[in-house]
Amino acid sequence: MTAYEEHFVKVAGANTHFLKGGRGQPLVMLHSIEGNLGWRRYHAQLAEHFTIYAPTCPGFGQSERPPWLETFADLARFSLWLLDELDLKNVTLAGHFMGGWLAAEMAVMSPHSLDGLILIDAAGIQPQQGEITDIFLHGLQGTRQLAYFDLQQIPEYEELFADKPSKEEREVRARNQETVVRYCWKPYMFSPSLPGLLGRVHVPTLIVWGQDDQIVPLECGELYQQAIPGSRLEILPQCGNCPPLEKPDEFTKLVRNFLT
Amino acid sequence: MFLMRFTERAYVDYSEEDVRQSFRSSVRLTFSNSHFDPALGADLYNAYLDEYEYAEEVGFDGLMLNEHHNTPTCMGAAMNLEAAILARTTKRAKLVLLGNPLPIFDNPLRLAEELAEIDMISRGRLVSGFVRGTGIESWATNTNPAYNRERFQEAHDLIIKTWTTPGPFRWEGKHYQFRVVNPFVRPLQQPHPPIWVPGVGSPETLIWCARHHYPYIYLETDPQVTLDLTEIYTEAAKEAGYEPGPQNFGYLVRVHVQDTDEKAYEVGKGFLIGNAGVGRVPLPGDFMAPPGYNSREGAKRIVDQYKRYSLRPDPLYGGVDSAGWEKVVESNRVIVGNPDTVIKKLREVLSVVRPGILGVWTNDGTIGHADTMRCLALMEHDVLPALQEMGKELDLPGPFEQAP
Repeated sequence: MTAYEEHFVKVAGANTHFLKGGRGQPLVMLHSIEGNLGWRRYHAQLAEHFTIYAPTCPGFGQSERPPWLETFADLARFSLWLLDELDLKNVTLAGHFMGGWLAAEMAVMSPHSLDGLILIDAAGIQPQQGEITDIFLHGLQGTRQLAYFDLQQIPEYEELFADKPSKEEREVRARNQETVVRYCWKPYMFSPSLPGLLGRVHVPTLIVWGQDDQIVPLECGELYQQAIPGSRLEILPQCGNCPPLEKPDEFTKLVRNFLT
Repeated sequence: MFLMRFTERAYVDYSEEDVRQSFRSSVRLTFSNSHFDPALGADLYNAYLDEYEYAEEVGFDGLMLNEHHNTPTCMGAAMNLEAAILARTTKRAKLVLLGNPLPIFDNPLRLAEELAEIDMISRGRLVSGFVRGTGIESWATNTNPAYNRERFQEAHDLIIKTWTTPGPFRWEGKHYQFRVVNPFVRPLQQPHPPIWVPGVGSPETLIWCARHHYPYIYLETDPQVTLDLTEIYTEAAKEAGYEPGPQNFGYLVRVHVQDTDEKAYEVGKGFLIGNAGVGRVPLPGDFMAPPGYNSREGAKRIVDQYKRYSLRPDPLYGGVDSAGWEKVVESNRVIVGNPDTVIKKLREVLSVVRPGILGVWTNDGTIGHADTMRCLALMEHDVLPALQEMGKELDLPGPFEQAP
């Protein structure tokens, strides 16, 4: 597995955790509601071609949250500051579900900071037909069942889900959940203005969606494609809300093809 | 001792199986309102109001109401309306609202006005309780649980200022902003109606109450847990410069009286269609306490205290009957019996918990109107006079006898 390092950087006075590994042009990958799940197979595969940055958002895991940071828009501003602190210019930004929404908000706030955008089963746009599944209402277990097409096809299933979480892991999980509630409770997982703002995003954009996503309907991927000029939508069959975990090989191939 | 009567005003026509079939088998939040028949609801609301009026007749000092949302276990979704009716149809008893869930109100000024009206119409009989609400209230009103405590405290501060500071003034808070705070009607009681706070033991709430001299009403907490929680309040009160007494504490317990122990034991089983999960069907924990609703410290403490007393018959969200009805009754978590039995059991509880306010939860679930009226009648002649004597004997002054 490609080597990686663990770092902390101060952003607005808040200790911010991130993983870094690989070589080549920078690719920043923003996590979803579970927080930073560590250096995963898809990171390692992509690190053979790119320098991967996997930050932990404020309020999740080991990253502090400045007390004033309470809205999703401020989370996006903070995350742009993180890019500044890491001296990352002209990066490609990728994000999954909540992290995809975050990447989209950062792109509309500062389109000139980015060279590319990858949105993976991203929240952020209100569907016109269906609904974004209420993960809070379904609870952790219920959400996990809905999040994957088939839990057993996750190559890292044993590492990720087989063991009962330790007390420390449960504590981190509780903190992560509280942070998601703080940022995303209402409106739930979308910003009404985002579709209107996305028209100014002129960077190359790849949209990846699990065909069987039961959390964010595929319709949202289509809405993203319509809103972002020149963007491309790739659909992975027999895959749920988490292509990087459920179909890592297919996912990383799409990303490599997009970036090279 | 201050004696108040309580019922949650339950809707009754559903089964444990209906609850099992609901989303995540929850009796609250997601139990479909397709189970509700408004014609039966009309009968029930009127019967419950009759019972409260009769409770005043039989000698209770207070009529306690509460508010919950999205649940058949409590039809008091608009508690202040019921209080307004009782303000006019009763004459003596205090109207004890435990309480208005402050965080779910986007306009606390409207609440300040409603409560002022109730206080005036009742000619100064309002006890205005404030609560954070359970997590269900946050879900039902889509109020972000991460800000529950902040909103509770800010709404409280705004309402108290509205009642006590001549308007107009401006309020620019974090969660509430008002250009012109100047509701014309103000409460009759000065400087404002008494504030009581019920709960199950969030340490932050206990400390906050102690600092404000607000009585804290324990809602069916395990007696041993209650003593531990009282220590938290007492310590904070001492830091604030005073020694709290029974007048600072209340205790709510389910009590059902019938002519014989046998009948009370059978009728009392109606409580098992209860608010903390029906029968042995638990409530989903994250419905009652969604992420962010409790502080990490508070959440840990609540879980720890329930673990330490694992024999208690009503584990967290386990369903009222999770330990079996016999054990529930044996351990005085629900008190049923003839008047003598109930007096004896309440003496055991009061001697340990030592509250100056006793909430007597006479009926709920499937306990019917006729049995409830009989229960209240038996309380008039035997139980309430004995409890008043017991309060004197055990030196348990209520908050209207001694200032908290």
